[in-house]
Amino acid sequence: MASFYRYSKTQLRGMSRSLPLFILCCVSTFMFSAQEPQRLPQAKPSDCAACHTGKSPLPKDHAATAGLTMSDCLGCHVKGGENSLAGKLPLSHVHQLQGVTCGKCHDDANSPEPVAKSKCMSCHDPEKVAAATAGVKPTNPHTSPHYGKKSDCNLCHHQHEKSENYCSQCHKFDFKLP
Amino acid sequence: MSESRDSQSSSRRNFLTTTGKALAASMAVTGLMGTSQGEEAKPCVNSSMPGKWDESYDVVVIGSGFAGLAAAYEAKKAGCSVVILEKMRTAGGNSIINGGGFAAAGNPLQTAQGLKDSPDMLAADMTREGLGLNHPELVKIVAEQSWPVVKWTIDEFGAKYQDHLMQEGGHSVPRTYMTPTESGADVFNPMLEKLSKMGLEVRTQVYVEKILRDGADGRVKGLQVRTGYAFPKVGSGKVKTIQAKKAVILAHGGFGQDVPFRTMQDPKLTGTMDCTNHPGATGELLREALRVGATPIQLSWIQVGPWGSPDEKGFGLGPHFAQEAAAMFGIWVNTTTGKRFISELANRKLRADAIMNFMNHGQKCIAIADDNMQGGVKHLIPKLLERGVIKQYKTWEEVAVAYDVPLETLKKTVADYNRYLAQGKDEEFGRYLNKEAKPLQLPVYVQRLLPKVHYTMGGVNINANAQVTDVGTDQPIPGFYAAGESVGGVHGAVRLGTVSGPTCLVFGRIAGQQAASEKPWA
Repeated sequence: MASFYRYSKTQLRGMSRSLPLFILCCVSTFMFSAQEPQRLPQAKPSDCAACHTGKSPLPKDHAATAGLTMSDCLGCHVKGGENSLAGKLPLSHVHQLQGVTCGKCHDDANSPEPVAKSKCMSCHDPEKVAAATAGVKPTNPHTSPHYGKKSDCNLCHHQHEKSENYCSQCHKFDFKLP
Repeated sequence: MSESRDSQSSSRRNFLTTTGKALAASMAVTGLMGTSQGEEAKPCVNSSMPGKWDESYDVVVIGSGFAGLAAAYEAKKAGCSVVILEKMRTAGGNSIINGGGFAAAGNPLQTAQGLKDSPDMLAADMTREGLGLNHPELVKIVAEQSWPVVKWTIDEFGAKYQDHLMQEGGHSVPRTYMTPTESGADVFNPMLEKLSKMGLEVRTQVYVEKILRDGADGRVKGLQVRTGYAFPKVGSGKVKTIQAKKAVILAHGGFGQDVPFRTMQDPKLTGTMDCTNHPGATGELLREALRVGATPIQLSWIQVGPWGSPDEKGFGLGPHFAQEAAAMFGIWVNTTTGKRFISELANRKLRADAIMNFMNHGQKCIAIADDNMQGGVKHLIPKLLERGVIKQYKTWEEVAVAYDVPLETLKKTVADYNRYLAQGKDEEFGRYLNKEAKPLQLPVYVQRLLPKVHYTMGGVNINANAQVTDVGTDQPIPGFYAAGESVGGVHGAVRLGTVSGPTCLVFGRIAGQQAASEKPWA
């Protein structure tokens, strides 16, 4: 077994020459496979691979996405149906696929800062949002005795990470959120 | 059962006779009479100051509940530059989720209803139920300002209240103003709006890592914080320093949700117990205040609310029913015995301890009321039913089956209670009988009771000017104030229900005014 670990001088010389390259390959492979997807403001919304440079987030047999918009997605992924995207597709992507690109929320898309709720509310009128969910049980998620209709959308609806049921910190409200 | 009586015990009355002596003692403790340790005493100091501060204000307020907003409002009104720091993603802490009750001694609603009350009576109630651990000069301030500060919320912010008075345990008379939706948010949000109009917004997601107390002169001069902090991710956000040219005001609340810290103070309150507080009610800033030399006081007195429900999380709606309907106009019953077990208007500790002791013996307790309940709780009944926190029953047989209560004893318990109402005297427990109470009759609503960790009476020690005192010298720490649940010594062993709101507002205002009057060090 000992000979297994023995290398000839030629071999060693060769290894020392190729070692830096070898390490670089390892590191770069690791970086591009295990890292978070990139956030490229200039990427086309339907070009998944532009940001997801490693393993594709889509199933193997998924239809090509090039050129698709959100309404195209909803053709197969029917709202409330088995294939619903609720909770699966990050809201930033939902926005992107409807033409709300990075720069429409972030003042500087290349160096993005957290977005104020007033920005969300410039499109999503709190009154209309609350009216749309008036019938949700056990209670309307878009109004409360604590925050009225003015709570920050981002308390629950995160754009770049999984959304959360903020109310559930204190309440047993089993809300399903996009 | 005489030991369980709320305000009738003669041994309790004895505390009142000792308040004179207690006053002198507490003045020494709060630094009004100078140090008891002589000239050798040294202040506790922290560190050297940063060469350059990232931000600078006259007054830096930590926490955005009632105490924080009241402090910020007064400091801002006095012309100071002010910042309010909040570690969570929403402003309001427990103030925006609480039950919306404000004890106000000697208020106009009482006068209209012929109820006799005064600040002295509230102070006596607080001191008796607090087992005399309350510092008299702090109690006096809260009691005297309790109605004026409620009026202040009306006059200054347009806060609205019901025209019905609520009564919590340990109060000798109904004296509590309730907000329309029975949430502190009804007072909190108008305050927040007014502050916003004054150009002051709460800075959320700012975590205070260090209180910077200068080693050279012992003054608190600023903070090291993390902006963009994402609770509860330790180490999230960017480190910044904030200079406080006049003062730092602690208004960070209590530590009810800090399981390790609360269990250290009271080993019974383990993580298996639910808590009514928001998840950010943790103890790290109290620890930091102690680290820079604040005097700790009465940290082991942690209140458990007796009126919680196992059928919902946290504070919820149950406490409204169990207190405002069942304790004021109905009864609480041990399901094993079928009997009442305490005055339903005994203080929270007596009631919670009784229920927890029963639970340790496998027994359970329920709260029962009928449709005669008065006040805003009436409007909460549909939601309470819908969420399964209460259930309605048409017969006592149904109640007996549902909760495994001995039927005949239960019926006798109800008949006895109705007799006490008719004769105007609770022969068993001496409970205060509300003027609007009527005989309990079917159909009834029933809630299961589960005590939940609710409030931390202890905190840092302050004097009457809301200045935090130094554990080394007993003297006020320059530039360092505190108000609200972060402070100890006001409520002693037991905080009376609905006295927290006024306490936060009163000492928040004092802290803000006093901080504003400080001479800036820079």
